[in-house]
Amino acid sequence: MKNTVNISVFKFDPLKDTEAKFKSYSMPSHGLRTVMDALTYIRDHIDGTLAFRSSCGQGRCGSCAVHFNGRYGLACEMLLSSEKNTVRPLAHLPVIKDLVVDMEAFWEKYEAVKPYLVRSSNDAVLSIEKRLKMNKLVDCILCGACFSACQMTGKNPDFHGPAAYVVLNRFLLDNRDSLREQRLALVKGENGVFRCHQMFNCNEACPKQIYPSENILEIIKIID
Amino acid sequence: MKEFDIIIVGAGAAGLRAAIAAVRKNLRVAVISKVHPLRSQSVLASGGINAVQDIRNEENGKNAQDRDSMQAYLQDILNCGCGFSDIAAAETLVRRTPSVIKDLERWGCLLNMESDGRFALRRMGVSSFPRTHFAEDKTGLALMHTLYEQCVRLRQNKPDLLRFFDEWLVLKLLVLNATAYGVIALDIINGKIELLAAKSVIWASGGSGRIYGRSSNAMISSGWGLAVPYYAGVPLKDMEFVQFHPTQLLGSHVLISEAARSEGGVLLNRKGERFLALYDDTKDAMELSQHDGISRNIRREILAGRAVDSSCVHLDLREIGAKKIRDRLPGIRELCKTYAGLDPLRYPIPVTPGQHYMIGGIDTNEKAETAIRGFYAAGECANAGIHGASRMGGNALPEALVFGEIAAENAAGYIQARRIKSPGNEFYKNAFEEEKKRIGKLFKTGGQASVSDIRNKLQRNMDEKAGIYRDGMGLVEAAKTIRELQNVYHSDLKVSSEEHRLNYGLIDAIELQGSLDIAEVIVQAALKRNESVGVHFRNDFPNFGGHPRHSILSLSKGKIRIRYIAVGKKAVSGIKGLWSRL
Repeated sequence: MKNTVNISVFKFDPLKDTEAKFKSYSMPSHGLRTVMDALTYIRDHIDGTLAFRSSCGQGRCGSCAVHFNGRYGLACEMLLSSEKNTVRPLAHLPVIKDLVVDMEAFWEKYEAVKPYLVRSSNDAVLSIEKRLKMNKLVDCILCGACFSACQMTGKNPDFHGPAAYVVLNRFLLDNRDSLREQRLALVKGENGVFRCHQMFNCNEACPKQIYPSENILEIIKIID
Repeated sequence: MKEFDIIIVGAGAAGLRAAIAAVRKNLRVAVISKVHPLRSQSVLASGGINAVQDIRNEENGKNAQDRDSMQAYLQDILNCGCGFSDIAAAETLVRRTPSVIKDLERWGCLLNMESDGRFALRRMGVSSFPRTHFAEDKTGLALMHTLYEQCVRLRQNKPDLLRFFDEWLVLKLLVLNATAYGVIALDIINGKIELLAAKSVIWASGGSGRIYGRSSNAMISSGWGLAVPYYAGVPLKDMEFVQFHPTQLLGSHVLISEAARSEGGVLLNRKGERFLALYDDTKDAMELSQHDGISRNIRREILAGRAVDSSCVHLDLREIGAKKIRDRLPGIRELCKTYAGLDPLRYPIPVTPGQHYMIGGIDTNEKAETAIRGFYAAGECANAGIHGASRMGGNALPEALVFGEIAAENAAGYIQARRIKSPGNEFYKNAFEEEKKRIGKLFKTGGQASVSDIRNKLQRNMDEKAGIYRDGMGLVEAAKTIRELQNVYHSDLKVSSEEHRLNYGLIDAIELQGSLDIAEVIVQAALKRNESVGVHFRNDFPNFGGHPRHSILSLSKGKIRIRYIAVGKKAVSGIKGLWSRL
């Protein structure tokens, strides 16, 4: 069985199916390295109806976040196991079909924190140290893995979620920004940053090792 | 039918830049993209952005020829382009790049800085001075997020003016009497086809690299984006100029940016020799020579039996040192770990050349205008003639941003200068019905040939016969294979499911037609150019013919028509001091 990859994939069309199922596929392992390789093989050679998103194939575009063998991550980065492989869609977002979810709620939260620099009139200079710190945060590719791994986003639809707070903290760190007070007011409320229970699921899920929970703590410290 | 002032097709760097400029002119803008904007190919661009900045302190007092200048930058472009660059377009790029950097900085894009507060610069291949601005080795990602942020801001401030159609595939460009009037597009999620009318259309669909198998491009760069305007009668230019990047990871063809060589990485053959020294065209600039020279010489090493594992060469970064790699090339290190299972701090990277960038594209000029009124193009899908026969590293991103903005400015001018008459409901209705019928037919072919099978054959054919080395015989065979595949496509295609909703099998089938037809254009253009120049190398015609001329390719009564025009030597305003040096 060494030359075969077995993979079980979530299949569900809410307009047609009454319940979700996992469908098993078997394929020759030659040339298949990542989960994306296997999904592409299925669509090309076994089941053309399998729906999943993909674009860059190199971990930069954030299209293909899924749940695989117990953790969230990018299908194009996670390596197939020689034993069991199980793929599910992102959680806390409605399934449109198979592995494709409706990301609208995720983007709404992102847009809610006003994810753009609005410069203040004085020409403040951004220090090199701040730049270095923010550099790590702008690695975020907005794939949605942390949003799905977070238990609070699932329980509370008004909670912004880890990704939005990483973006928020990037702008709070920026001393050229003029919306600081507005931004803080947005997340002070009972559905804001204090909803985070520091379970660190987001840290584990992030394919770019950004540690969203640390950013949330930093925001909490500013507000407190 | 939905109506807008401007429709922008594509939401990569050029499309988003155009959107920002158009909304600021208070025009109603629709941005249509088959993926969410942040999933665009532009996020993969890693090298950086060329721009001439103010003279640095340490350079003050130096003689003019010893410091960077607009003239020096322009001269580098023209040298790299082998005499095929249209000077007006190249000059426009050079003049406007400082404002690109200024905009990005103002919008909060985190470009690398030196400790004195000036932008960090790296020197890319064939640049006579360090002038490439960068955000680590993820410049494209950083600037795409910045552009998208500005779009979000504009949309929050002016919700009536900016609308995104994410995950919509454009099927047809509407043209009547050589004037553009909108597009027909398919909503991929719900499967509905709609007509979107506009006074002007800006094309920013990106590259077509996935016509090749060995390519560093995103899967989405299928060639369909170029095929749609081509079907509508828009002429393409210099399609034979396909750029191959010398250093892509063996197997996955993930790009290892030129930045790695710019920071000190060296190329080694099986014997551990820096083989670029063995060849005339790379022995001087070595790892910083033009992409095409390095790519060709890697192929030569492979053919001469001096390759590592008979299939690749080594890119060795170990001399650069751990600190510099961590500071300046962290993305490259990450990619090597994931896709090759090795850490470049400890091991050399196995690399091989592959398709990287389409120099050819929609025939445009320095104003992003095309042969069709109201129709503009910018970014990789366009060819304003800047890069000539070979593109310098660090020029793709500034080109996308500069010409995205120019396209929007000129589209706005076009709309404001005249009353654009509607082509009439009858025209829209007929075009719509015809397109619906065409797509409906795709389901009913009842054939046996799978999309992936045809696509794999096409890609192999292009890799082998229209790649780094070409010859007449091979190109004739390539053309024949493409014709056979086109016949199979039209007579025996199998589309996996009859569903309209979220049917990627259908999307792939639609786009495959474009891959085939654009591949045919590339092969025909390569076959007709009986000379070697820049990225185009013909074994049977190894020398340059001496007369730079663009090939102009258009679809006429179902056939490819090729004509040739002289390269533009006229400047727009004249960068001071240039003309005496040329």
